[in-house]
Amino acid sequence: MKTTHKEVLFGLYDDESVLLHAVHKAKHDHLEIMDVFTPFPVHGMEEALHLSESRLHIAGFIYGAIGALTGFLAMTWIFTRDWPIIFGGKPYWSVPAFIPITFEMTVLFASVGMVVTFFTVSGMGFGVTNPTLDDRITDDKFCIAFDVSQSEEEDVERLKGFFRESGASEVNTKTI
Amino acid sequence: MNQFTLQSRQRTFLIGFMLLGLLCMVITYLTDDALHTRFWTNYLHNTVFFLGIGFISLFILAAFTTSWAGWYVGMKRVWESFSLFLIPGLVLMIPIILGLWGHFHHLYHWADKAEVAKDAILTGKSGFLNPVWYTLGTLILVGAWIFFALKLRQLSVLEDTQGKGVADNFSIHRWIRFWSAVFLPIAGFSSAVLIWQWLMSVDSHWYSTMFAWYTGASWFVSAMALTILLLVYLKGQGYFAHVTTNHFHDLGKFLFAFSVFWTYLWFSQFMLIWYANIGEETIYFHERMTNYPALFYGNLILNFVLPFLVLMRNDSKRKTGIMVTGAVITFLGHWLDFFLMVKPGARHTAMEAMAGHGGHGEEAAHHALGVAAGFSYPGLLELGTMLGFLAFFLYFVLTRLEKASLLPHNDPYLQESKHHAVWPFAEHE
Repeated sequence: MKTTHKEVLFGLYDDESVLLHAVHKAKHDHLEIMDVFTPFPVHGMEEALHLSESRLHIAGFIYGAIGALTGFLAMTWIFTRDWPIIFGGKPYWSVPAFIPITFEMTVLFASVGMVVTFFTVSGMGFGVTNPTLDDRITDDKFCIAFDVSQSEEEDVERLKGFFRESGASEVNTKTI
Repeated sequence: MNQFTLQSRQRTFLIGFMLLGLLCMVITYLTDDALHTRFWTNYLHNTVFFLGIGFISLFILAAFTTSWAGWYVGMKRVWESFSLFLIPGLVLMIPIILGLWGHFHHLYHWADKAEVAKDAILTGKSGFLNPVWYTLGTLILVGAWIFFALKLRQLSVLEDTQGKGVADNFSIHRWIRFWSAVFLPIAGFSSAVLIWQWLMSVDSHWYSTMFAWYTGASWFVSAMALTILLLVYLKGQGYFAHVTTNHFHDLGKFLFAFSVFWTYLWFSQFMLIWYANIGEETIYFHERMTNYPALFYGNLILNFVLPFLVLMRNDSKRKTGIMVTGAVITFLGHWLDFFLMVKPGARHTAMEAMAGHGGHGEEAAHHALGVAAGFSYPGLLELGTMLGFLAFFLYFVLTRLEKASLLPHNDPYLQESKHHAVWPFAEHE
């Protein structure tokens, strides 16, 4: 697999409200943010970054529908074709008794499916290792990253100026 | 506009519908069978339905206050006004109580002394199912609810003028919190008792431990639906400017969540009885599935399938049209749910009573069941009666709403309510 290396300039912030202001300022200054990394979801970040609504719940609905069908059809097949048993004089195809299993399968498929989908689209799928800019952004630091592979010297200086003004506690570069 | 005034046009409109309701009740009474079964079942059905909406509104206020919620504060005057309907609700219950003593209605099989004497099950239950307990339970427990409703309302209005905020450490709000916390456990137990007496004992032989919660969930959804409809209307009139799409989004979540909760209880009750297959329990469902199939299955479609699919999407709860549709469906749906709780049992009791106590009553009752307006399905008279009760409810609520500012000025959570935001993508809509 061919990898393109990126030159990343990133600033670390100590506080999420400072970070949020910095993101607003970057948008206002028309700086092109590559990504923002935070140890936990920051309220208001979606608006600040102008992200569109996630479509994860649509996937969730589809997984849930598949789960419901799987559960119901499996119960139907097991108790009418594969191994019919009479419970308390009820007919083989006893729909009310299948509802709890159908419900559980819906929840199982929707939840597992959404977790797997979420990790995959976030670039954290099975067998994928992503470079980390700084280990501390998984702990207590908040990070704004710019891709400076194609940038001129003066643009980089401008970005560093932005970090200084917006209250970053550290500015580093890393090739990933 | 923080001061609501009921215009004469609205007053005329509501009084018109109240008169329509009254007319429908008179017609029902005159065209009824000898025992006036249709009239009395309609009366019990609507009284309990709207009284319950008042009760559950008080419960909502107490639960939100106790859980330190802030978002609802901008609309709490609506629920306060709803909860005051407990007072006319109790007055409406009095004819039913008097009827137990005077035997001028036959809603409850257990109220018939001759029947109880020859019926082992009813004799066994007669320690609880008797006119004394029915009277005391209704008067004392609804009386207690009224006490709490008045208490919360008075303190809340008092806070508007006397609340000093930090200066006196929110002392009035602390009292609201105190009375709310006291009310919650009382509400939990007392509502179950009253639901057994008012509704479950209509089918006197039958019992279900799920029934109280199931009925409570039905009240909850109806109260939410009515809140949404009233708020949409009042917002259209220019009131409640501080209630935004975000608040409706949360009300919609409650409507959705409690529709699912209602379904969960409905199904739990159904499945346990279906599975155990004990005759004295299954008779309740057998009766409804055989003789009232449209209502029985329609109930599930209106109160589960439609709200589940319509209200599931996040942004459908932010669109007024969809929310109004969902609220109308669930409101009518739960009104029908109560219809189905009351009618079959009371109809059975009345038919036995009319066939006489000669021992053939039971048989006669089974043969006489047919499709009949007002029992197998709600006829125009039922619809008119419901509109009359609804108009009375709204008239009472709106006149209470006039008595205080729509915005609780000194509520410590008011700012939180005004800045309530639940959806980060609102600005792109």
